[in-house]
Amino acid sequence: MGLRGGPPRPAEPGGPALRFSGVVHRYRSIVALDHLDLEVARGETLALLGPNGAGKSTAISILLGIQRAQEGEVSVLGTDPRSAMASGKVGAMLQVGGGSGLPHGVKVRDLLSMTARLYRNPAPVARTLARSGLTELADRQTQRLSGGQAQRVRFALAIAGDPELVFLDEPTIAMDVEGRRSFWAMMRQFSTEGRTVVFATHHLDEVDAVADRIVVIRKGAVVANGAASTIKAAVPTRRVRFASKGVDPARLRELDGVNAACVRGSQVVLDSLDADATVRALVASGVSFTDIEVTGADLEQAFVALTSDLAEAHTVDDAVAPAYSAPIRRPPASRTAP
Amino acid sequence: MTGLPTFLRFEVLRLLRNVRYVGITVGFPVVFYVLFLHNEHPEARIAGTTWKTYFMVSMASFGAMVASLNAGGTRLAAERASGWTRQLRVTPLPSWSYITTKIATSMIIVLPVIAVVELTGLLIGGVRLSPLTWAVLTLVLWASAFSFASLGVLVGYVASSETVYPLVTALMFLLSFFGGLFTPVPDLPVVLRHAAAFLPSYHYASLGWAVVAGRAPGAGDAGVLLAYAVVLGLAVTWRHRVDESRAFA
Ligand SMILES: Nc1ncnc2c1ncn2[C@@H]1O[C@H](COP(=O)(O)OP(=O)(O)O)[C@@H](O)[C@H]1O
Ligand SMILES: [Mg+2]
Repeated sequence: MGLRGGPPRPAEPGGPALRFSGVVHRYRSIVALDHLDLEVARGETLALLGPNGAGKSTAISILLGIQRAQEGEVSVLGTDPRSAMASGKVGAMLQVGGGSGLPHGVKVRDLLSMTARLYRNPAPVARTLARSGLTELADRQTQRLSGGQAQRVRFALAIAGDPELVFLDEPTIAMDVEGRRSFWAMMRQFSTEGRTVVFATHHLDEVDAVADRIVVIRKGAVVANGAASTIKAAVPTRRVRFASKGVDPARLRELDGVNAACVRGSQVVLDSLDADATVRALVASGVSFTDIEVTGADLEQAFVALTSDLAEAHTVDDAVAPAYSAPIRRPPASRTAP
Repeated sequence: MTGLPTFLRFEVLRLLRNVRYVGITVGFPVVFYVLFLHNEHPEARIAGTTWKTYFMVSMASFGAMVASLNAGGTRLAAERASGWTRQLRVTPLPSWSYITTKIATSMIIVLPVIAVVELTGLLIGGVRLSPLTWAVLTLVLWASAFSFASLGVLVGYVASSETVYPLVTALMFLLSFFGGLFTPVPDLPVVLRHAAAFLPSYHYASLGWAVVAGRAPGAGDAGVLLAYAVVLGLAVTWRHRVDESRAFA
């Protein structure tokens, strides 16, 4: 150790766990990453949040050394992604297509102990099994696992080597509600032990329980970066609807709190960060309106709206379906409260 | 690096525990040997040896081929489809480990398959050879199985998990029948006799047939097999690169 060329380099524990600067990656004409910048501190749990096709998997595959960045700089644990992977300090759970991601004809325990032995300082297999809720399934053959169980085994594979840095790409994608809940409980416990965790998801509701910080990406670039509460504050959570004739959407967009305005015939829908401010501004603006109604927007759909092209366009004509179609009604109690 | 031996042991054990695989690779050549031994008179002379000896070499060749095509081809295609090959890429194992381990696994499995067929020849067929000839025969068949191993791996890379079974079955059929493993090449129709000269199975078995007839293995046969191994090896490397450059299988 440390005999290769010159004095041993300090392990720089203070440096970031990973850094992405100005990374560009294209698939033929598709720009998957468009000058993406990202930095994750050691010990941090970061959520990469973005709609399908945002570039999350591409970013993760570059950080894992599966693909090389076509432009820009990438460093992982102070070195290049492939060396970091070879050093055994990185674990990963990839997004799988149709398959289980596991080899057949082997017991869960044997698969995990083989994988653990590929790493320098692996975790004891019993601990990995316990951590991923697989103790009961240790003697099960991999081909007899359900989809959710296989996903837990893939999580176990990611942590079997007791890595410092773990990447999870859409780890709960095929799980039911209960599966998701217990998965994030496992994750939370794992991430509180000083490890760095980066996970990708397109579920806004999944991130705030686990992530220290959220980076929202859209079309391969960062559109928001901050704590869960900060990001949620930027997501329009109220919807103001009313009827009005010949109103200019550009004017509505200027109203306080309005994030997006949709005019469809005489029907107007405003996505708002602050319904009170929006209604006050609407009254003050002199725009005539009838049948006003304020509802809670579905957080998930509002998030999709934030990260989709609609947020830019602000106006949707009749030909284009809006990204939101089923707003959740605010409980009447909250409107009739004194 | 302790990774490779660990992974190789895992792969070999996983293959040996597969009852269906072991049954097919060992069972088929042994059963065919016993079934077809009496198609001719066991003591009938053929190519400088007896039928029972000649056919033992044929079935050992058949076994080596079936073992390699299934160990490499069938399993590899399934594991590419399931995403296991991608998962392996996010371990400390070097990226070439998967292929080399598949080829090594094939080679390790082929040896007992050859030995079991030889044992059947000895015990059931009454084949008698000098200890040296047994040893040389085993060594020659084992070493040249490398070309089948690379063929198996290539098939696994080219085929999808759905097309791999028919492809492996077709290859097994073509290579064994037209390579003269069931009907000796001189007894095949003229057209097929010429086809045999292009098949690795024919040249593979020819090496063994020469050994049991007390001749030196033909340099031509060895050359063709080597050429096959090189071309297949290059093709495998190329397919592996293509697979690697694809982020999502
Ligand atoms: N192998 C590929 N070939 C061509 N295009 C791809 C490939 N992988 C991803 N893409 C495209 O790149 C963009 C980003 O994809 P991806 O990184 O998978 O996003 P996410 O994981 O956020 O859903 C998408 O437009 C996707 O269609
Ligand atoms: Mg993805």
